[in-house]
Amino acid sequence: MRIFGTILLFFIVFPLIFIRRNSVFQAVILYIIMDIAIFLVFIYVPTEKVQGIVQKIFYFHVSSAITMFLAFFIAFVASIMFLWKSSDWWDAVALSSVEIGVVFCTLVLITGPIWARPIWGAWWSWDPTLTLSLVLWLIYVAYLMLRADAHDPKRTRFAAVLGIVGFVDVPLIFWSVEKWRTLHPKPVLIQEGGTTGLTFAMLLTFVVCLGAFLLLFFYLLRERTSIAQSRYSLEVLRQEVDDLLAR
Amino acid sequence: MLSSKLFIRQVLALLAKDLKTEWRTREIFTSMFVFAVLVIVIFNFSIGADPELIHQVVSGVMWVALLFATVLGLQRAGQMEREEDSLYGVLLALSDSNALFVAKMIAQILYLLLLVICTLPLCSVWFRIDFLACIGGLWVVFALGILGLSIVGTLFAMVALHTRAHDVMLPMLFLPVTVPITISSVYATAQLIAGKNLKDIADYLTLMGIFDIIFFTLSLMIFDYFIEE
Amino acid sequence: MKNFWYLFAAYSIIWTALWAYTIRLSRKNKELQEELHDLQARVERVLTK
Repeated sequence: MRIFGTILLFFIVFPLIFIRRNSVFQAVILYIIMDIAIFLVFIYVPTEKVQGIVQKIFYFHVSSAITMFLAFFIAFVASIMFLWKSSDWWDAVALSSVEIGVVFCTLVLITGPIWARPIWGAWWSWDPTLTLSLVLWLIYVAYLMLRADAHDPKRTRFAAVLGIVGFVDVPLIFWSVEKWRTLHPKPVLIQEGGTTGLTFAMLLTFVVCLGAFLLLFFYLLRERTSIAQSRYSLEVLRQEVDDLLAR
Repeated sequence: MLSSKLFIRQVLALLAKDLKTEWRTREIFTSMFVFAVLVIVIFNFSIGADPELIHQVVSGVMWVALLFATVLGLQRAGQMEREEDSLYGVLLALSDSNALFVAKMIAQILYLLLLVICTLPLCSVWFRIDFLACIGGLWVVFALGILGLSIVGTLFAMVALHTRAHDVMLPMLFLPVTVPITISSVYATAQLIAGKNLKDIADYLTLMGIFDIIFFTLSLMIFDYFIEE
Repeated sequence: MKNFWYLFAAYSIIWTALWAYTIRLSRKNKELQEELHDLQARVERVLTK
């Protein structure tokens, strides 16, 4: 276990070498906290009695889920601000947030079944949180597809609509699946979550993991927003060059 | 704003225009109806011959047919708009662009209502279900469901109108967002067919009602913002 | 350790995905910044001529 953890630590060092932006300080802090998180998950926290070591997936899985919700919420706010203020920056934030949100959502949808298989005996279950994540994934992938189609700045307004509608829909989808779920047969070996009655060690580990993921999210958000803004500036510049050449 | 006489007149004028065009060509409704019938029949084949099983999934099959018919109807309408490029002219003439949204929404509601009225007897015959026995409750479920589908459908139809992959875009946007309606309507309808009454499905009806209110308000609020030049 | 490979799979996927995405963002950003500066310099040159 310790060897596995240490190897994992190494794989964290490597990619961070490539991160050379003016937010070096943030990257360093992020790196340190990620290392601590990994240490806590694999070396510090004791293995859970009932579920075995697979339970450790929970720390990153739930952290991803919470980060995903935050991402979509930020996209929601940014979309409103964009429609209201028509500022390109808000649009860049919305797009970036949705993209990162989709990344984390994909992770949730992959790690969830990986955890579920040994625990429940089934890869999938139509319970509210899983179904909600799946539908959200569909909605925000549609957002990205809509954006990919839209080179005209006017069309970005349409995507903003989806950014708003998608998030407003979240509680509604959750409630409807909650009611629907009670009809569905549960998987054979189902055990409820496992999140009740966390010991202190588990709680500490989880909080650190969540913190690491949130830091990572904001780091990625800044990078991606910067990319989106650079693209706008490039477009504007290209227009200028074309105009100049035409003269 | 919403209830001013000018607004109502404009909505009615737009509605009349759409309905008149539809009455002359009957394109949209016929394609919706034919498609819905096809979906129901094909489902019948794919589920197999077991009458018990068919009886259980009738509600789901009907609503799937409705969903896809909605998408189809909106796509046909959108196609006509795109060909004529009439939208911008209309918008210039309107004092409040929400009138356009409301008019298109009402048109869609009417098409769907008509569709339901036409297909229910068919389903009754094919699946041996007595709809008349629960017609009171059924009417409520269909009203709320159709309202929700029309609101979201019209909103996304306008959104998808000018994208390049518009045929794919509309169902991709529409189907996930209307999941609460789909779930609630299917379950509520199934319960009613099984003999329950309105009180038993009250929470599903509440959910649909909340969905309709939220999305109607939301659509009115943001329609202005994204339709302007 | 029962179910070890599930744990390994889950974490490998998370790390690979996040790592790949972060690297991609970083590289893309650098690329764009360079292109931007490039283009800006050229515009300056044309304007001052």
